[in-house]
Amino acid sequence: MKKVIYGNHAVSWGVKLARAEVISAYPITPQTQVVEELSEMCASGELDARYIMVESEHSAMAACIGAAATGARAFTATSSQGLALMHELLHWAAGARHPIVMADINRAMGPGWNIWTEQTDSLAQRDTGWIQLYCETNQEVLDTTIMSFRLAEQVNLPVMVVLDAFYLSHTAEPVEIPDASLVDAFLPKRQAKLKLDPADPRSFNALVRPDDYMEMRHSLQQAMREARTAFDEVEEAWEQSFGRRYGAVEAYHIDDADLVLVVSGTMVSTARHVIDQRRAAGERVGLVKLKMFRPFPTETLRAALAGVDKVAVLDRNLSPGRGGIFAEEIRAALYDVPPDDRPQLFGYVLGLGGRDIRPDTIESVIDRTRATDAPQREDLWVGLNA
Amino acid sequence: MSELRLEARDIPVSRMSTLVNKTGSWKYIRPVYHDRIAPCNQGCPVGIDIEGYLNLLREDRLDEALDLLLRENPMPAITGRVCDHPCETACNRRELDGAVGIHAVERVLGDLALERPVEASAVRHTEQVAVVGSGPAGLACAYHLNRLGYAVTVFEASPAAGGMLRLGIPEYRLPRPVLDRQIERLRQAGIDFVCNVRVGVDLQWSVLSWFDAVFIGTGAHLPKPLGLAGEDNPAVRQGLDFLEEVNGGGRPEVGRTVIVIGGGNTAMDCARSARRLGADVTVMYRRTRAEMPAILDEIADAEREGVRLEFLASPVAFGDDSEGVVDVVFERMILGEPDASGRRAPVPTGERFEHAVDLVLLATGENASLEWLPPEVKVGRGSIPVDRLGATGAGKYYSGGDVAGHDRTVAHALGAGKRAAIGIDRQLRALRGDAIPNAATPAELDALRLGPEGNLSIARWRREDPVRRVSPLDEVVGPEQLNLTHFEPAERHRDHKPNGRTAQTFDEVNLGLTSAEALAEAKRCFNCGVCNECELCLIYCPDVAIRRGTDGNRFEIDLDYCKGCGVCAEECPRGAISMTREGL
Repeated sequence: MKKVIYGNHAVSWGVKLARAEVISAYPITPQTQVVEELSEMCASGELDARYIMVESEHSAMAACIGAAATGARAFTATSSQGLALMHELLHWAAGARHPIVMADINRAMGPGWNIWTEQTDSLAQRDTGWIQLYCETNQEVLDTTIMSFRLAEQVNLPVMVVLDAFYLSHTAEPVEIPDASLVDAFLPKRQAKLKLDPADPRSFNALVRPDDYMEMRHSLQQAMREARTAFDEVEEAWEQSFGRRYGAVEAYHIDDADLVLVVSGTMVSTARHVIDQRRAAGERVGLVKLKMFRPFPTETLRAALAGVDKVAVLDRNLSPGRGGIFAEEIRAALYDVPPDDRPQLFGYVLGLGGRDIRPDTIESVIDRTRATDAPQREDLWVGLNA
Repeated sequence: MSELRLEARDIPVSRMSTLVNKTGSWKYIRPVYHDRIAPCNQGCPVGIDIEGYLNLLREDRLDEALDLLLRENPMPAITGRVCDHPCETACNRRELDGAVGIHAVERVLGDLALERPVEASAVRHTEQVAVVGSGPAGLACAYHLNRLGYAVTVFEASPAAGGMLRLGIPEYRLPRPVLDRQIERLRQAGIDFVCNVRVGVDLQWSVLSWFDAVFIGTGAHLPKPLGLAGEDNPAVRQGLDFLEEVNGGGRPEVGRTVIVIGGGNTAMDCARSARRLGADVTVMYRRTRAEMPAILDEIADAEREGVRLEFLASPVAFGDDSEGVVDVVFERMILGEPDASGRRAPVPTGERFEHAVDLVLLATGENASLEWLPPEVKVGRGSIPVDRLGATGAGKYYSGGDVAGHDRTVAHALGAGKRAAIGIDRQLRALRGDAIPNAATPAELDALRLGPEGNLSIARWRREDPVRRVSPLDEVVGPEQLNLTHFEPAERHRDHKPNGRTAQTFDEVNLGLTSAEALAEAKRCFNCGVCNECELCLIYCPDVAIRRGTDGNRFEIDLDYCKGCGVCAEECPRGAISMTREGL
């Protein structure tokens, strides 16, 4: 069945098909439609889940943690300041190894108060222990939401499904709605081994002394490592049932490319369009789409970029005092590539606060990269007003 | 899935069960389940367990709901139509979105009850009781004594039983088939009715001497003269006299214009009846709308039917006009300080004005029917003084209702008749040799009350309350003891639905609720003060120390782990849990 739905409602449909058992959220633009639709699904009975109203995002995540601790499949969604308010509990969810799935609709952090898209909110939660998956289309949003529950429960880590405000959240696209029975086969009911059980009560997450804490952090790191391969397995299973896969990293026209763009989110679609045109004109240019940010797909990315002359990383995000966050991570990933194979990396900061990234924006990045012999020390800001 | 690989070394999990940690040792206060009294129950002059039967309706236990209602109220089909429902005034749901429409629900149940026989008593006593007067007080006394197993004979001066229900209340408010069916139901239960007999006139009181107890419920229907010039004009009629004629099927000539003097239910009944006989009707009341004692819906219906209301006018004299028209002289009043009734009193201004009309109906109150009483029964100020259980102090004579000075509503009369039935049963059991103290102690009566100001429960007197109470407390639950956040708003059903016709017929005006609407309305009840097993306490307890009970207890609290946080009592939507000091 195909439906024309918003990116936000693609999340809702994914959660419904995943048969989430507990949903708790606090509304914030541009996330509101996600939970509005879910609350109606709960009210009508088409989704048999407990919908818990709360007074803040902090409480929403706390409710999801409580639910997940009892073995329930829990979901929430938020944006920007709401995600920032959850910060403490994001650490908790990951440290306690709760397989919670959350949608984050990328929205710029205020001030200036801004509701439009930017990736800084989710990237600022980089070190909390959440898997992060960025989406390009509404179909990818729906598919990723369902796959995330399976991935989360397989490695006992929370997953953040990330999508652009408005360009995706409030844009309607045709979406194939998977058959519910096939989804049930792909994603059976959650089976938690360690959970709160009144019949056998245990203390969870109490004080841990230096003798044990590091081992637990090591286990978390191992789980993240495992998540990298588990993601491919989950996508493999998804493709077998539904015929679609996305890849932690997707390479597009890079085989003979001397210049490759690294992009994420909805700007990938714009960049594909530009690449198609440049290819038609005979230019050797390609792109790499970064879907997975945590765990960072270092090996896959290195394999894709090694031997390319120039790599331009487009960052719709900012770590003030350093620059684009993706560019920084990719520089680190390429550091020990042998110098002969190591590409030059050009960083560009653009599209902050929802500023449009148009085909000519990307053209200018390509042209600028071609025209420059060596990367500048700091990432270049594209399209700043004079 | 591979989640099963997660081990206790990956996250901090205790090796041992936490049951060893008895958090209950921390507490200094603890929760206790106590059923309290819902304010509607205390507010009901009949003394009905309203919350109880609404709760049974909520659980779709219709038969048991009817049974609970009929244990206290002999005639819900009638009170469901004519009661001024103080229960709804007391209802805590007012604080959210409007009182529960108890009155309309009762009517639907009452109509169902008309088709059911009165539950027969398991025992038959040899003692016999006479009831003099077949108004609501007498009928209630007869009904309850019949259910207790006594033989009861009701004496009525009029040709048909019903008292003020038949003589005073118009058909458009209380259709006669409903009243007749109600009386018939009592007759079928074995109560004897002897009509057309005025005890004290046609039959000497001494003839009743072979009855073991006598209840006097002769009501209040004697004219209360205003003492004004021209009051003897034939075009100046007692309102009750007029109503008796109309309610008996008479259709007296009322002329073109009618003035009704008064602001109570009798005034509304007179005005609306005269309107149905074709007159242009004005009600003259000496205070203002806010002080009118009439039921609000009656006032609204009267105005909708074209009755005019004029305020702050008191009659001074009735003049004779040459063409058979009465010139009524009024004096303009203003409102002064509150009087004994708590309402602001009318104060004359000296300003006079006249209305010329064809008929004046006086509805300014009636005197109790105290003539022809047995000599032993003492009369106080305008009524027969009685104690809490209706005893007059004169041996076997009991009394209740209008004649005994109780509030003049059907509900108060039903409540007084019930109290007297308890009093008579108590006295006869004492005479029979049951171990009962001579006089009812305050503690004994308190144990029967539905709240500190409530009427007595005959179910409690009979010790066969079908509702299981968990350590009940004699406290009425106010809105401050509820947790309203747990209740969904649900609009009250519109329960006063005029039939749409103009004031031309004596057909019943209010169409009432359908059964489905009544059931939905019943489910708006909060069940104030009474645990209805909503399980919120169980869900909210942070220590998982509450569980479903065994041995008939609804819930049990594991005091080994309850640390006395009070969350259950705070979250309980209906105030059925209280926190008490540890060790008390």
